[in-house]
Amino acid sequence: MASLEPTQNKTWDLSLYELQRKPQEIITDNTEIAVSPRSLHSELMCPICLDMLKKTMTTKECLHRFCSDCIVTALRSGNKECPTCRKKLVSKRSLRADPNFDLLISKIYPSREEYEALQEKVMAKFNQTQSQQALVNSINEGIKLQSQNRPQRFRTNKGGNGGGGGGGGASSGGNNNTGSGAASTRAGSNAVHAHDTASNDSNSNTNGTETSAPTATTAAAAGTGASAAAAAASGTMPAATSAGTSGASTSSSRMQVDDASNPPSVRSTPSPVPSNSSSTKPKRAMSVMTSERSEESESDSQMDCRTEGDSNIDTEGEGNGELGINDEIELVFKPHPTEMSADNQLIRALKDNCIRYIKTTANATVDHLSKYLAMRLTLDLGDDLPEACRLLNFCIYVAPQPQQLVILNGNQTLHQVNDRFWKVNKPMEMYYSWKKT
Amino acid sequence: MAQNISPEQSGAGGSSKHNDDSLPVKDNHAVSKRLHKELMNLMMANEKGISAFPDGENIFKWVGTIAGPINTVYASQTYRLSLDFPNSYPYAAPVVKFLTPCFHPNVDLQGAICLDILKDKWSALYDVRTILLSIQSLLGEPNNESPLNAQAAMMWNDQNEYKKYLDSFYEKHKDT
Repeated sequence: MASLEPTQNKTWDLSLYELQRKPQEIITDNTEIAVSPRSLHSELMCPICLDMLKKTMTTKECLHRFCSDCIVTALRSGNKECPTCRKKLVSKRSLRADPNFDLLISKIYPSREEYEALQEKVMAKFNQTQSQQALVNSINEGIKLQSQNRPQRFRTNKGGNGGGGGGGGASSGGNNNTGSGAASTRAGSNAVHAHDTASNDSNSNTNGTETSAPTATTAAAAGTGASAAAAAASGTMPAATSAGTSGASTSSSRMQVDDASNPPSVRSTPSPVPSNSSSTKPKRAMSVMTSERSEESESDSQMDCRTEGDSNIDTEGEGNGELGINDEIELVFKPHPTEMSADNQLIRALKDNCIRYIKTTANATVDHLSKYLAMRLTLDLGDDLPEACRLLNFCIYVAPQPQQLVILNGNQTLHQVNDRFWKVNKPMEMYYSWKKT
Repeated sequence: MAQNISPEQSGAGGSSKHNDDSLPVKDNHAVSKRLHKELMNLMMANEKGISAFPDGENIFKWVGTIAGPINTVYASQTYRLSLDFPNSYPYAAPVVKFLTPCFHPNVDLQGAICLDILKDKWSALYDVRTILLSIQSLLGEPNNESPLNAQAAMMWNDQNEYKKYLDSFYEKHKDT
């Protein structure tokens, strides 16, 4: 919002991040970097039509990008200023076409028609679930499902075979259905279900109940879909929405998956979940991941494949926290003053580079940050870094007051940290130290 | 941040071009597409203190709610607002009105709101979310220089009195 302030004078106020940033080095070896489409989305989106940029026009002075049609209409209809930052835009001549950016987009999404068709499909499904009729249907469905599940729950509890799973699942599913007071809630939770289905296919298989079959299929579709964003989304989005209209078997399997996983609403509930569950909780893909990550423990790398899939789904499904993506946060990242003193191995290797200026999305979590840091340092230092220091875990701290460092829980988002501890309108200062294990 | 101006003033200032459906209008499909996207984003974001949803099947008419900002006299109140989107949205601002009676220096008793970003400071980048957040912050930080409700502007300085009056105001308008 602050960017919407009119800027009268011609001075350029560069933030610390902007002053310190250096060009990223070109990767020449076989290192692969995976960037989730979700993180790119805010870059490739026109802020006016909220669609992917089409015939990109860039403002000459402030470098904001819009679709050609959108910005021309905006200039014709209103104030002669940049819609993003209010910088004066005299006419079309204050804009220039940006064919390179169009090229970039066509590299990332080779088939625009396909992308648009998919968007339309997702939108249509969404509209279906939003209409009043959908609300009525969903309530009826819920009542029906409840009555169907009641005897089943009873039986499972009595039999006691895997009782916790089946029973708990059924009851939570029941709540879910009755709780869908608004069609919206339902749509939201469905989307997340698809998510969990994808991430927990192994869990649902081990549950071994006869109802888990449909789940496995959905999961497979989502899990392997990581190869192409489009494939993943087409595989899961319809499945997610159709879950609401299909029969009892699908829905009860969904419940079991629910049960096997953590609370599905990682994204919508801001309240922190216990952190000890780091191996199972669905994580969003980090923006930077390299092949070196596979050196980590096996469970971790499995998780990575999964998060790839997840992030794809998100983007295509018009991302859950998309608004959040636009909120960027600037960080100054320093070594912990006492634990990472000058004689520390890593700090010695880093020398002047130990302070990091980072700009990232506000919905990244502290975990993401610590993973990013480990990766970044490993990449930067290359062979200089002693073997023992590679891919370390870091503890992240924030200092609400100088000298008072608070250690941060891994699954808080930076937005939450900022709200709780920082509040002032300048880059958030955070500290890192080795994780003591 | 957002400054408010009187609607009369802005009307005279030639910004009648806003909210004017004769603007270079993209087809309705593009407008409803953007509104659907906004709706989807809003539902996924689950923003605290504000919400909005189309009123019935018409995507061009929404009803929003705003929670009174905490630590202000409006805390613990909830306000309903109507948002009417012109065919030229997002190049022109929606017409936003309070449905719940709101005693505030920049809101008249018919619910009209005096806020610059809804008039001449509108930008195509604003959306339902930012509008509602702006109105929410206007509640706690009125612009008493150009009041629509002079009584409220005069009373604002004495917050205790203001709160007392507010309570009686709500008591009176409970049924509306």
